[in-house]
Amino acid sequence: MKKFITFLTLVFMSSTIFAGGYQVRLQGNKQTGIGLIGTPMIYGSSSTFYNPGSLPFMKKKWDFDVGASFIFSNVAFQKAKSNYQAKSENKTGTPFYAYGAFKISHLITVGLGVYTPYGSSETWNDQWAGKLLIQNISLQAIYIQPTIAFNISDKVGIGAGFVYAMGNVKMQRALNYSGDSYVNLDGKTTSIGYNVGIFWKPIEKLRLGLDYRSAIKMSVVDGDATFKIPQSLQGTIPENNKFDAELPLPANLDFGLAVYATDKLLLSFELDYVWWSVYDTLTFTFKDQGDLLNSNNPRLYKNTLIPRFGIEYDINKTILVKGGFYYDSSPTNENYFSPETVSLNTVAYTLGLSIMPVDGLSIDVSWLQLFGRKAEKNYSPDKFQGTYQSAAVIPGIGISYSF
Amino acid sequence: MKTKKLIYILLLPLFIYSCKPEVNDFKPSNGNADFTSFVAVGNSLTAGYASGALYTSGQKAGFANILAKQMVFAGGNGTFKIPLMPTEDGVGVAESGNPPTLRTKLVMGYSTDCLGQTSLGPVPAVADPDQQELAAELMTSVAGDGPFNNIAVPGIKVGHLFAPGLGTLNPFYGRFAENPQTDVLISEAAKVNPTFFLLWIGNNDVLDYAASGGVAPITPVDGDVGFGFRASYTAAVQTLMQEAPEGVVANIPSVTSAPYFTTVPYNPVVLTDPDAVSQLNSAYALYNQMMEANGLPYRINWTLGQNPMVIFDKDMPLPDAYAQFKFRQIKADELVLLSIPQDSIKCAQWGTAKPVPDMYVLTEKEIQKVNNATHQFNKIIKENVDANNLAFLNVNSLMKQISEQGIMADGVEFTSTLVTGNLFSLDGIHLSAQGNALVANYFIRAINSKYNSAIPQVNITDYPPILLP
Repeated sequence: MKKFITFLTLVFMSSTIFAGGYQVRLQGNKQTGIGLIGTPMIYGSSSTFYNPGSLPFMKKKWDFDVGASFIFSNVAFQKAKSNYQAKSENKTGTPFYAYGAFKISHLITVGLGVYTPYGSSETWNDQWAGKLLIQNISLQAIYIQPTIAFNISDKVGIGAGFVYAMGNVKMQRALNYSGDSYVNLDGKTTSIGYNVGIFWKPIEKLRLGLDYRSAIKMSVVDGDATFKIPQSLQGTIPENNKFDAELPLPANLDFGLAVYATDKLLLSFELDYVWWSVYDTLTFTFKDQGDLLNSNNPRLYKNTLIPRFGIEYDINKTILVKGGFYYDSSPTNENYFSPETVSLNTVAYTLGLSIMPVDGLSIDVSWLQLFGRKAEKNYSPDKFQGTYQSAAVIPGIGISYSF
Repeated sequence: MKTKKLIYILLLPLFIYSCKPEVNDFKPSNGNADFTSFVAVGNSLTAGYASGALYTSGQKAGFANILAKQMVFAGGNGTFKIPLMPTEDGVGVAESGNPPTLRTKLVMGYSTDCLGQTSLGPVPAVADPDQQELAAELMTSVAGDGPFNNIAVPGIKVGHLFAPGLGTLNPFYGRFAENPQTDVLISEAAKVNPTFFLLWIGNNDVLDYAASGGVAPITPVDGDVGFGFRASYTAAVQTLMQEAPEGVVANIPSVTSAPYFTTVPYNPVVLTDPDAVSQLNSAYALYNQMMEANGLPYRINWTLGQNPMVIFDKDMPLPDAYAQFKFRQIKADELVLLSIPQDSIKCAQWGTAKPVPDMYVLTEKEIQKVNNATHQFNKIIKENVDANNLAFLNVNSLMKQISEQGIMADGVEFTSTLVTGNLFSLDGIHLSAQGNALVANYFIRAINSKYNSAIPQVNITDYPPILLP
């Protein structure tokens, strides 16, 4: 147990940046390898996140799964009509997950999941050209999800989970005053939501899944705002202030289908719809001097649909190889594109390898590579325009044991 | 065999990962222009005069120097000599005072007014500078460091470009002229064998009038080279065209949109005491009777709260016998200059018992004259641009846009408000460092669009904001 806590502490620095706004779908290395498809899969306790409806179909009574991914991401930027170039120096993000599930009876399965579905980290040089928009940001959410699933028949399972979310955001941007002025915001919050899914196996070779994860509003109340400003302004702008802000984490509806083309070859397809349009405006409200400091920052995200394709091949009973591909279009509005979340239309492929040396034990290795396509974007309220390109490589490892 | 394949598959991603993101789509180019040697001709704006003085970092942050640096990417030779001042505090000429006094640059600092109230605002970097020391700094010749690419001279009008011996009258030229007694400023351009020129001149031809509250004359449109605006301006462009076949020209902004003219309100007098109101009203009762008796519409009335100031207006249509009554209350659309001594309003009854002297006010009639002259001069400038097929920056419309709506660039909001508007330096007329960067980018746009060139723009945030204590 102690070791597990140490592990959690290590990966608590969970954060990342890549396509799809600030959503990070690395909640299971079994799924990551196959294009991040999970809804129509029987992948043990990690289905707590992807589709709790499939939990009753896990093969053994107990199943545990822990793992993490390591995100190495880079963003390159060139300002419009300029030869100025900048690169973000992002910290390695480490989203993680830990699941446990227990089949109480043939009918009822319970599970518990701890995972990090949202996160973003972007670190630009403090003196870069967009410093008045953002210098650095890190955003993370950890979800804890107790879950119950029922076996309606041998073919259909349903599951529902209650989500307790803990979020924290830190960001810093420069202020256009002398002496490298800046404002630093640091806030924490908790919220709740739910995750429901249904799994259907009409015939042995075909699996279908549908999962809905609710939107969660993360409202920061009384976050800490620190203003580093020239002394002559400190009478007007307090150095230490409190702020409120709201960051919506969007709802997802995933539909997936998997079919065994042969005994060894599994083909799968998934469509994920993400209600990003909830992210309309990022609003900061300050306790003191609100008239002066409050700001409404339009983001105007739009909903996205992500198609995913994946294959899994059973080389022998102990080795599975996987591959996947997906296209994640950017939810951002091209006129309200802030360098705090460089989310571009992204092409991604995945590779995966599962090794099962003994019955019940699986070591799952995945490799995800993302190519954010080069595009010119503008944050029109600040007239900050340029071309962005991003890339990320994300190796991941997980281990699961069932008995 | 299978294992080998597997290894290849696993190595593939490592190979692809080596392609890190890179955006480098901007290809600088000179297009149809030749930026090898660049010369800048103009007045204080082009010289890099800022916050009321010419000083080292202000000169370096001037848009002409920024432009020269960016031109290096498109074939510029990298040489842009500026007749730099020896100090960071610099030397400037105070807006009011006769004879003119010299001062250092203005900085943001605290000052205490006649009521004992301390506030933050523009104050001289050195409170009571030694006039002789500043004069010596200004007069010390740097001609030996030339020839110069930035030959802009603070204070000059277009006719001064052709005035022999200008260096003896204007020390800002005298300090870099080889022979101040005889040299003609426009001839300095040829010394750097320019291939491209910038000309932004004409502001002082109206500004001198406006900044003196309508006391100094406006340059006449007609007249010979050296006197009339049309002939002088046309000759300036032609002279430069003989040296460099390509260039960029900027017109004259509406001077009355600068904070020098818009910061002090027309009605700063606040009356809170009913006794003071009735005292003032009875003091002006005679004035009102006299105006009524003469059938004139002027009346001076005082109320609790804010009141328009009383100003001298030499243009009032009064018979000569009543010349001493040529004062009235200022109208809301008339302008009070930043040079007005604030303590005189607060403690010496300026604007109430004592009318404000003419030199601190631009009346409706004077504003109209300024606008007409600006319009006429800008027409002449545009005609020269078109006749010579030059690049053109319409600073007049740019400043109009900034004063009406403001402009954002790289997250910096530019307005025509003093200090917080970011565009103007502390004197309310000249550009700040970030304002210079913005204007440099607009010059680059104008040049690129005319000559199909690709000079890269600069980041506004690379230049310092207004320094606050």
